[in-house]
Amino acid sequence: MLELTLLLLIVLSIAALQTRSLRNAVIYLGVFSLAISFVYLLYHAPDVAIAEAVIGSTIATILYLVALQKYKIFTIYYRLQDSEVEDTHYFSRYKLQLVKSLEKFCTKQELEAQIIYSLEELDDILTKHQYALIIEEHEAFISIYAHHENYMLDKLEFFLDNEPAFIRPYRIVKMEEIEGEVME
Amino acid sequence: MTEHSTLLSKTLGSVFPFILIFGIYMITNGHVTPGGGFQGGAVLAAVFICKYLVIPLKDISLYKVQWVEKLALIFIILLAIGFIATGLNVRFDFFTPYYMILMNILIGLKVACGMTIIFYRFAYYESR
Repeated sequence: MLELTLLLLIVLSIAALQTRSLRNAVIYLGVFSLAISFVYLLYHAPDVAIAEAVIGSTIATILYLVALQKYKIFTIYYRLQDSEVEDTHYFSRYKLQLVKSLEKFCTKQELEAQIIYSLEELDDILTKHQYALIIEEHEAFISIYAHHENYMLDKLEFFLDNEPAFIRPYRIVKMEEIEGEVME
Repeated sequence: MTEHSTLLSKTLGSVFPFILIFGIYMITNGHVTPGGGFQGGAVLAAVFICKYLVIPLKDISLYKVQWVEKLALIFIILLAIGFIATGLNVRFDFFTPYYMILMNILIGLKVACGMTIIFYRFAYYESR
């Protein structure tokens, strides 16, 4: 019985490493915790077995699942001018094109896009809100501000390069660089 | 966990009184049977996680929970020092199980509060 469970542990840990989806890996880790708590029980350590079963297979698993849920939401702030809101100018064609391709990117990466149209100043959004991207429009181009810890940025750039050409060109600004400029 | 699941909320809602009783049993009988303050406290914290899964309602004041946790820590230290300094442990044998039960209850309270804080802090505040 003991050898069988130990073999099961090896199989489960390899499965958790080799699986493609993170959610499956979390479930494999939960089953792994349950199996290892059974091993502790066979080694006559019921105290450790209880602690491992409660913490490893319940609390840690739920924490990982909540973390996966959090990691999926991709918040995009679209900064508007006051005049644009009044005449619903923000539904114009070139803006919808960018928003649509961003949504397409999120669907492709299994993320949930949360687009917020905001009237606040750029600095307010930067300091007060948690964002992944901020889009701001200028006369000739659209700038996309990305948080410097954003792990999706490289994929996003690659994706936007392969999209059909935009009516207004865009440029991507990483927030770290901007802070550097202010310091100088 | 944004969408509400009826199946999950019904089953967890019927199960969680038993989890509560199991946690209290584990704490109070920790000195004779497997279990103890830490394990029982973790089981009690699982009750709060069940509550979050049933209905994600933010009605627990984390400030008060933190206050209870700090109070439990102070009592743990005071009780241990007081028990040894007065010499009760060598003078009377029958005090020892009561001391262990009291200590386990305090440790269980502290662990339950700590794990609840960790979980709620994570579930409600940390996001990007």
